[in-house]
Amino acid sequence: MKTFFIAATLLALPTFAGAASFTFIVAGLGGEPEYEQRFREQAASLAAAAEKAAGDKSRVVLLTGEQARRESVRREFQEFAAKIKPADNVTVVLIGHGTYDGEEYRFNVPGADITGGELEQLFDRLPAKQQLIVNATSASGATIDRWQRPERVVITATKSGGERTATRFAQYWLQAVSSDAADVNKDETVTAAEAFDYTNRQVAASYKSEVALATEHARIAGEETAAFAVARIGSSALSGSDPEVTALLAQRGKIEQDLEGVKGRKAALSQDEYYDELEGVLVRLAQLQKQIDAKRVVQ
Amino acid sequence: MTRRPARLLLSLLATFAASSAFAQAIDYDPRRAPELRACDEHQHHGRVDQARVCYSQFINSPNPVLQAEALWATGDLQRANECFRDFVQANARAVQPRIRWARLFLQTHQYNDAAELFRDALKIFPNDPHAKIGLARVLAERFEGEAGPLIEEVLREHDDLVEAHLVSAQLALEAGQTEAAQKALERAGDLAAKQKLPPLEVFSMRAAIETSRDRDPQPWIKRALDYNPRYGAVYEQLAHFEIMRRRYREATALLQRAIEVQPDLWSARAELGSNLLRLGQIDEARQQLQAAYSGDPYSPTTVNSLRLLDRIDQFDVSSTPVAVAGDTYVVRLRLHRSESSVLEPYAIDLVQQGIATFSRRYGFKLQEPVTVELYPDHDDFAVRVAALPGIGLLGVTFGYVVAMDSPSGRASGDFHWGSTLWHELAHVFTLEATDHRVPRWLSEGISVFEEWRTGPTPGVVVPPDVITALNEDRFLPVSDLDGGFIRPAYPNQIQVSYVQAGLICLFIEQRWGFERLSLLLHQFDRANVTTAAAVQSAFKMAPADFDKEFDAFLHSRYGALLAGMNEWQSQYQAARKAIQSEQWADAIAPAKRAAELYPEHVGPGSPNLLLARSLDKLGRRAEAIAAVEAYRNAGGWDPAALRELARWLDEAGRKQDATAVLQALNYADPLNPEQHVELGERLLADNRAEDSLREFRVLLALREHDQAPALFGAARALYALGDRAASRRNVLDALAAAPHYKPAQDFLLKIVEERTKNE
Repeated sequence: MKTFFIAATLLALPTFAGAASFTFIVAGLGGEPEYEQRFREQAASLAAAAEKAAGDKSRVVLLTGEQARRESVRREFQEFAAKIKPADNVTVVLIGHGTYDGEEYRFNVPGADITGGELEQLFDRLPAKQQLIVNATSASGATIDRWQRPERVVITATKSGGERTATRFAQYWLQAVSSDAADVNKDETVTAAEAFDYTNRQVAASYKSEVALATEHARIAGEETAAFAVARIGSSALSGSDPEVTALLAQRGKIEQDLEGVKGRKAALSQDEYYDELEGVLVRLAQLQKQIDAKRVVQ
Repeated sequence: MTRRPARLLLSLLATFAASSAFAQAIDYDPRRAPELRACDEHQHHGRVDQARVCYSQFINSPNPVLQAEALWATGDLQRANECFRDFVQANARAVQPRIRWARLFLQTHQYNDAAELFRDALKIFPNDPHAKIGLARVLAERFEGEAGPLIEEVLREHDDLVEAHLVSAQLALEAGQTEAAQKALERAGDLAAKQKLPPLEVFSMRAAIETSRDRDPQPWIKRALDYNPRYGAVYEQLAHFEIMRRRYREATALLQRAIEVQPDLWSARAELGSNLLRLGQIDEARQQLQAAYSGDPYSPTTVNSLRLLDRIDQFDVSSTPVAVAGDTYVVRLRLHRSESSVLEPYAIDLVQQGIATFSRRYGFKLQEPVTVELYPDHDDFAVRVAALPGIGLLGVTFGYVVAMDSPSGRASGDFHWGSTLWHELAHVFTLEATDHRVPRWLSEGISVFEEWRTGPTPGVVVPPDVITALNEDRFLPVSDLDGGFIRPAYPNQIQVSYVQAGLICLFIEQRWGFERLSLLLHQFDRANVTTAAAVQSAFKMAPADFDKEFDAFLHSRYGALLAGMNEWQSQYQAARKAIQSEQWADAIAPAKRAAELYPEHVGPGSPNLLLARSLDKLGRRAEAIAAVEAYRNAGGWDPAALRELARWLDEAGRKQDATAVLQALNYADPLNPEQHVELGERLLADNRAEDSLREFRVLLALREHDQAPALFGAARALYALGDRAASRRNVLDALAAAPHYKPAQDFLLKIVEERTKNE
């Protein structure tokens, strides 16, 4: 049982050991100069964040303007998919305008639009066992059910194809993956779940602060939302594959279980007992974390 | 009350709901069917059963108008409506039935439909006096300025109409013109006697006049009840005018008497419910409103009030004692559960400061707890205040109860909730110090003046449309200024009247010193004091001379601007144009000149902000800071501008000034979590641990989904305050929420090590 729990915890941890992160970003047609610039800038910033996380520029593809034409996207995506191994993880981000006519979603790009069906076929070519598709466009909700697969997390900026207004999702997604703002549990890793939660809140808050009706309601689907890491910050970016670090992380996992145990028993303990036990576990965790950080720095 | 034109905070004391207090039941139109006279006689004398039997005989009358009247009189309003409708549709030129149909709409609170029908009648017969009177009634209900001229028009042609004199008397009494009201009522009474019409409304309003003179209304009440022992409307009428004078407790007692005399007077029950709501007696209010609804389901005010009460349990109610100059006062807050923890500390702080300030300045100690209610939903606030959604107000004071919009109910930068609360608190003092006798203009004037002088955004703020009104000589004589609030004669006269009233208080302070303003207020401690008499007593001059000196003050203060309005306009537009095309250097001179000419323009697009932006773009940061500081000192508070100022001050090494600006923002925009994070850290670094702790606790309430930073911040603040045990608990809670939170881990290890060393 103990072994199973440790293994389960390890599996649940966002892991990059031996796995590479790949990112494919497309900024579609803006229509108006303001949107054109906004989409381009957001895509560029996301690409920069992805390159930093991946540690390798070749693992990030950014298509904007004329490069985002349908044929170009299809061609580039196929080349991109060919580089990926099953152990790798991949993120695809679509920024721009989308439309939905009741039957088919379309991602607006220069020239002919790309349909949801075409994108679905492209995505199905990805061999990676961990996939994240972020469709930040208007009407993106029309794609969430269609694009879902067992290994894939899908996030859409809207709840359905009926939410057609330009979205604010991308700007807050960018904040989520390029800072620690979304790292609620402070483990220096931003998961898809955390990034989604942060983005969703910020979007809602932006409408509320204007006392405006929200015209977008994001959705997330997939099994591994809390396991898919979209960003690593601080020393967690230095993990690498050192066996000593791995062993320390395993110990950390054990302490985390003890912590959950204490929290689970809170109702049955007096206040003093609870905080005494909590302190015991958390001090151990803090001391172990120092060892882990020391190892990471040495690397 | 605080109104909302742009950024100008205005105040008006609650009057609306009172207008729906009574439905007109007496038909003074001589064209009324003679068959109904005997029934009317029973009705007017309170012989309800005989009246019902009498009217019932006409329910199936072949005369549709008679049938409609009988159905109406016996309570079948739906069928009465159908009968009137069918008749009017079949008889396009019918005037009197149309007027009666309009009266039915009036009784069932459908004022727009009533007005439309009265106007339709006037299209058929333009001089019909009863159509005009009916229309005047609708306009009077809605406090529209056209009611007065319309009634005057009727009286010029028809001096023998009882109801015209009654409406004239009502309008006069609402405007505080008791002599004119009495004259009108004496005429109405004579006419009613001659025409053998019921004198009930005459008696009611005579009683109201006595009350307004602080004399005993009982003789007139007795005459009304002798005529009709079930005439609860006499008390309802008295209550209406008490509400107009903001004497809500007195109104409550009268309304209770009204329903004792006439239990099925649903309008009185509804008004009683609304009044109890004003006084904060929620359960009793609900009871009366439910009863009112059962008898009169047409009243939108009743329905809206009941809907509001359905949501009242979403609010947290707290009572906090605050110490001021050795005394303890209780502050009650009614805040929505979703934001009570966020707003409470700031609201308590501000109320405490307000009590200290106004007690000292106006020499009055509060005798009861103050209740402050903040509504995130503006429609809930509107219903709370006037029982009708969509009103353009920000805050209202009912004696010791203040109700206002919550900052969460408006877009950031839309209004300054701290100033609104300050304004309303000033009303608490001016009302209670004079037992609600202070005239409207002076209560509003003091509230505006106190915003300028002692509130969270000090600085005299005079918007452009008020300057325009001054330029066009639209300011009112001080003796008539109440009229600018009650029955505005032009679209923005209420807003202009607010500022004029504030400027009068400023003038008094500058001419005679602040103490004279307090002296003026206390002239109204006694009953029956008019503005004219108070001015004479306080300043030893006639109101006309006061007006002259005030005018001279205004021209001295604003003369350059008034003479240079064209120049101001052109400079301001030049600055805006240059900014829009990013010609920063070209914007400097015109923005500077516009700001020099009119420094009190701190609303949206203030020239000082344009100047600041241009200077910053040109790298002249120090001057840019000075421009924003000038804007702030003049009363400007735009959150985006102040956040930028704080950033600039930080970059200039003026960290403490930056912190002060950010703290001020809590009274403009308290719901920004990042602001509280930043303030919490700054205040902790400045060894202001108590203030820091407050910020982190507010942050905890704002970010329930991400508690670790707030808990960690609170842990450090508590540590600085010497509360090691609470500090430990907070950091452990932070780590329980976020086990890998490294700064919190470091802090935990530190305090454990420290504890170990000390053991």
